[in-house]
Amino acid sequence: MNWLTWRQHRAQFLFGAATLAVITLFLVPSGLGIWHTFRSTGLAGCLAVTGRDCGDLASTFSDRYTGLQFTIPLFMILPALLGVFWGAPLVAREIEQGTHRLAWTQGLTRLRWMSTKVVTLVLATLAGAAVFAFLLSWWSRPFVAASDNRFSFGVFDLRGIVPVAYALFALAAGVAAGALIRRTVAAMGATLGAYVAVRTGIELWARPHYEAARTISYSFFGSGPHPGSGDWVLSTRTVDRAGHLLGNGQSLDFNVLHARCPDLPGPSSGFVSKAPIQACIQRLGIHLQATYQPGNRYWLFQGIESAIFVGLALGLLAFAVWWVRRKVA
Amino acid sequence: MIQFRLDRRLGVSTYLQIVHQVRHAVRLGILRPGDQLPTVKEVVGSLAINPNTVQKAYRELEHDGLVEGRPGLGTFVAPTAGGPPPSSHALLRRSLERWLRGAFDAGLDAEDVRALFETSMHDLQKEGVA
Amino acid sequence: MTTPAALTATALGKRYRGHWGLRDCSLEIPAGRISALVGPNGAGKTTLLHLATGLLAPTAGTIETLGRTPGEDPDLLPRIGFMAQDVPLYRSFRVREMLEFGRRTNPGRWDAELAQGRMDRASIDLDQRAGTLSGGQRAQVALALALAKRPELLLLDEPLAALDPLARREFLKALMEGAVDGEVTVVLSSHLLTDLERVCDHLVVLSGGRTQVAGDIEGLLEAHRVLTGPRRDVDRIEGVAAVVQQATTDRQSTLLVRTDGPIIDPAWSVHRVDLEELVLGYLGQPNATALPAPRLARTGAEVSR
Repeated sequence: MNWLTWRQHRAQFLFGAATLAVITLFLVPSGLGIWHTFRSTGLAGCLAVTGRDCGDLASTFSDRYTGLQFTIPLFMILPALLGVFWGAPLVAREIEQGTHRLAWTQGLTRLRWMSTKVVTLVLATLAGAAVFAFLLSWWSRPFVAASDNRFSFGVFDLRGIVPVAYALFALAAGVAAGALIRRTVAAMGATLGAYVAVRTGIELWARPHYEAARTISYSFFGSGPHPGSGDWVLSTRTVDRAGHLLGNGQSLDFNVLHARCPDLPGPSSGFVSKAPIQACIQRLGIHLQATYQPGNRYWLFQGIESAIFVGLALGLLAFAVWWVRRKVA
Repeated sequence: MIQFRLDRRLGVSTYLQIVHQVRHAVRLGILRPGDQLPTVKEVVGSLAINPNTVQKAYRELEHDGLVEGRPGLGTFVAPTAGGPPPSSHALLRRSLERWLRGAFDAGLDAEDVRALFETSMHDLQKEGVA
Repeated sequence: MTTPAALTATALGKRYRGHWGLRDCSLEIPAGRISALVGPNGAGKTTLLHLATGLLAPTAGTIETLGRTPGEDPDLLPRIGFMAQDVPLYRSFRVREMLEFGRRTNPGRWDAELAQGRMDRASIDLDQRAGTLSGGQRAQVALALALAKRPELLLLDEPLAALDPLARREFLKALMEGAVDGEVTVVLSSHLLTDLERVCDHLVVLSGGRTQVAGDIEGLLEAHRVLTGPRRDVDRIEGVAAVVQQATTDRQSTLLVRTDGPIIDPAWSVHRVDLEELVLGYLGQPNATALPAPRLARTGAEVSR
């Protein structure tokens, strides 16, 4: 059965391995260059000292590599391709070509056939995705350190352990779609659609709520929560002393201010000096309020997100095996 | 060894055709006592027919004492089997030729004769004579 | 006959989206026979064979293959050889790899010599890709796969349909040789009645998802006659159990009848029937049936269980 799995899927395995090799060939040399720059410009040393302002060094460093941002969407789509090209055809192509009637009437049960193939593909997926995630985490670490944004879109999703879980989920979605739809191309489309939908849904609506967000208040002219610790700021609001919302983000409408501080010169009076405005802000107790997920929850969030996708993947695979065993023919 | 052939137009069942062909071959001396008949596998492999049919034919021949099965070896023409003396052949053939001449004189053509022969043959077979 | 049944269906039904592929179908195929499964397209032949292998599960009734329930009994599959309609093979596999596939997926049963021998007999190059084989060669490879697992029951779904006459004959020769070697029960679905008459000794006619005719072919042919005679009303003829089909012109009546004794009425001339006439006669009259009487043995079997 392992022979059969290899013989039938070797083209897919080889293509997958080739893709991984190309990615490695890109990531390793460019990564070495990035790390060299990171160290030689002094950015690494600067960031190692807590509390130091490395803003200029960091932005010079980031500007130098903005060209590499095009790789992010490519890397985001890779796990989905695994589902499309490995998962979807597994059962669908067999049914499309009628060979399921050959494969499932030999001496081995359908359960055995399905479980052997699924387990093999899962192991290959785990191995490939682990290499991919490890390389990418290493490659992007200087950028993350420089920009202090490891929770952000395109960063959280490509590092740590979640890429492995995504790949597993994509594979499972492909297998299930193929078993259910029985047409390779349609199953491929459904896989891609389901992957994007679930990933987007979780990213937008679930991930910010894995743990209750914290709220912090700080001066209108101060800076956000804990710079350098990688906090994930979900929202910032400008409020007065009583907590009434005056604006989203760090913003104030001068007309609003003028209405509450009548001693301020009117908007028509041209230049207004800074001092009276500051005094007004002070008097009204205007300050900023941020809700955020602390940076030290990063691995917790990686774990929760991975658990969700692995759980979904296992559910889909169990469904696919059951469906093939009971319903398909 | 003999080779069987099937004629679908005869309307005679396959197993009877095999029985007849063996009888015929023994009668004409093509098969002699001790000769081996083709194995069931050889027959079905050349004619593409049901093995049970061949087995049935061989069983019937065996029952008639014309052949004997030797387990593990095959089916052989029985030592006692043999055709009628050739003189009777010659005699019958002469009388058939006489009859044919009479038939042609009466205006029958070859087609008519064959039809007549087959109908009579068929009727006799049904009565169990042939 | 007391031979055990290779295949037994009891009130078997399979419902697809919106229609029944097989409905209230009961039949029994005795072991050791070569059975022809015939019927028009959509009669349920493929459905029946798929149910027998466990590829499909019944919606109603039961089916037993070699005394077991297909699809649930993992010990059954190794004992069945199945050749599906349109002869599916992995197109990118070489013939050698197709045989390797058979060996790997039938552990403990695979007869490599037999498979190799069949390929030699059919002069098939082991390095050729399955996708480039001719129809006849594909059928030979598929048959070798089915035979080399040494099945007790061989189910073939329209194996002759795509073959030219020569390939058909070669296929049937190979099949019959395989049947001699393996002492295997064969069920063969086909449209080609003349080919079936040579190789089969048992007949099942399916029509509209039900069994219309079932029985020993020789017995069926013996029990049916075509009667021709001057036109007249047919109510009762001595020796006729049932009129299957009748055709009348203004002068003459032609009847296909099932007999229960000799027909001695001199007004009718009596002709034997061949398989094709018999089958077409029944298919033309979907309400006529010729089925074996329910066997007493079945109640006995249930008691002993």
